Amino acid sequence: MNAFRAILAMFCILAVCGVLLGAFGAQLKGDMPCPLCILQRMAMLLCVAGPAWLLARSWKREVDAIDYAQCYGASIIAALAGATMSGRQVLIHIAPGDPGYGEPMLGMHLYSWAFVVFATVILVSGLHMLALPRRAERLPFAGASRVVVGLAVAIAALNMVAVFFEEGFHLVLPDNPNEYRLLDDLGLRGDDAQPASSETPAP
Amino acid sequence: MDTLIFLLIVLTFMAMWRGKHRAAGVLFVLALVAMLLLFRHHATDTLPISL
Repeated sequence: MNAFRAILAMFCILAVCGVLLGAFGAQLKGDMPCPLCILQRMAMLLCVAGPAWLLARSWKREVDAIDYAQCYGASIIAALAGATMSGRQVLIHIAPGDPGYGEPMLGMHLYSWAFVVFATVILVSGLHMLALPRRAERLPFAGASRVVVGLAVAIAALNMVAVFFEEGFHLVLPDNPNEYRLLDDLGLRGDDAQPASSETPAP
Repeated sequence: MDTLIFLLIVLTFMAMWRGKHRAAGVLFVLALVAMLLLFRHHATDTLPISL
């Protein structure tokens, strides 16, 4: 059963990391993330922090029910925050005829997928907490779990760099980002570059 | 602000990795609160519908 719990924790991390990589791929194709999209990425990473925290604890000692409850409880809190953000963005574009923000992926916009992800995180964390261990146990697959948690750290760092390029030396992101403002801030963009416009719909 | 929150998240993961679990918990809460404050800013200040 402890092997199942370790695999489930790693699967949770990999599933959310897959969604984050998909969103990052859309950004590389030119679909610039809006401020709410960036907030949802932050919430997804905080959701990942729960199982990553559990695995990190298991590297040095046995984990018990309190560890499971703390780590998956943190995931649920982050998922509730993320579901609020993505739910709000869904509601903004819920009116008939609204094209939504960005290009749909597999039939739904990224913020709709984000809502599905957050609801799934809450569901899986709740199910996981129904089957807490009765005594402390050591989780197997320490090497694999280090690779999985390392992947999550790498994705977090990648997003940090991408957002720094998008935000530049400004306090917050613009409503409709369509360029990397760091290039302007550093004077690396040519004079023929298009200034930020509001042609795309607001997030 | 967004970059700093991502930095907090990366630091949270690094603290977990190094076994500093209390520091990781503090960083997690800081990142969560900062994220919610930023959401409040975007939700009430820059978008047409207020909370």
